[in-house]
Amino acid sequence: MSSAPGGATDQALALRASRGDVEAFKQLVQEHSGLVYRVALRIVGVEGAQDASQEVWVRVWRNIKNFRGESAFSTWLYRVTVNACLSARRKEARRGEREYGGDEMPFLPEPPGGDADPEAAALGAERREEIQAALGHVRAEHRAALVLRHMEGLSYAEIAQVLGVPDGTAKGWVSRGRAAMLIALAEENHGRTGGSAG
Amino acid sequence: MMSAGEQRWEMLEKIGAYAAGELEGEEAREVEQLIFERPDYRRLAESYARMLVMLDTLGNEPVEAPEAVVGYAIRRAYISAFMRSAEVFIGALGRSYLDAFVYYLGLRRESYGGGT
Repeated sequence: MSSAPGGATDQALALRASRGDVEAFKQLVQEHSGLVYRVALRIVGVEGAQDASQEVWVRVWRNIKNFRGESAFSTWLYRVTVNACLSARRKEARRGEREYGGDEMPFLPEPPGGDADPEAAALGAERREEIQAALGHVRAEHRAALVLRHMEGLSYAEIAQVLGVPDGTAKGWVSRGRAAMLIALAEENHGRTGGSAG
Repeated sequence: MMSAGEQRWEMLEKIGAYAAGELEGEEAREVEQLIFERPDYRRLAESYARMLVMLDTLGNEPVEAPEAVVGYAIRRAYISAFMRSAEVFIGALGRSYLDAFVYYLGLRRESYGGGT
């Protein structure tokens, strides 16, 4: 993340944008709109991703003067994005977090062709829906940490910086998010296969 | 002392950390031993591995923001920049008129000619 090839350029563009240069801001939007939308999609879901992304860019333009270049621009952008998504989630009625009260461990069935099958590794539309639905049942902060770690590939130090928490808390949130995600995914899978899986 | 539920949750998180390659040394060996001995833990570790592959695969797929998002962000910035400039211009114009009016009424002693 911090070693992104466009790092130095981003810093220069952010500096220009902070002085009111709209062309520089436009370049930042074009360069990073995918990142913002992708993260919003994972945290707030497809129905809220567009509004959340727009809110992110409004906040970026309004607050870019506060970006001092102490971290990579992408780290700061991740932070603004996660904060906007968590605010959006707080406005919604909280979806039920899956409780883990069973005696058995949650399991995902082996794909038909086995784990080594490349076709099984490619995600079908149904599997994507399952993942998105399962993410919706993970507590928002834990979900954000899980997405940053296992979908965006950030280090724990970077996650801690983005979420504004100590490293240990970031690690704990990822761990809880991972466990909650597996439970939710196993239940989604169980529900779709009519209880024959697992 | 931890309840049975808390112990199960702890094991769930520990095996998740192992599957993600985040355990080292003695802790990793301890979990490996448990996975070797208990088929339910082995299935759990395999399930985690499958889930992590799915998350990684999905995370690596390119996602493009809808044009509407990009267009909206840029339009808002242009409007905001225009409003800022207009504010500065109107402010400066207002101050100039006020200065001129004050001078006209003779409320300010110094003249614009440089003399006193």
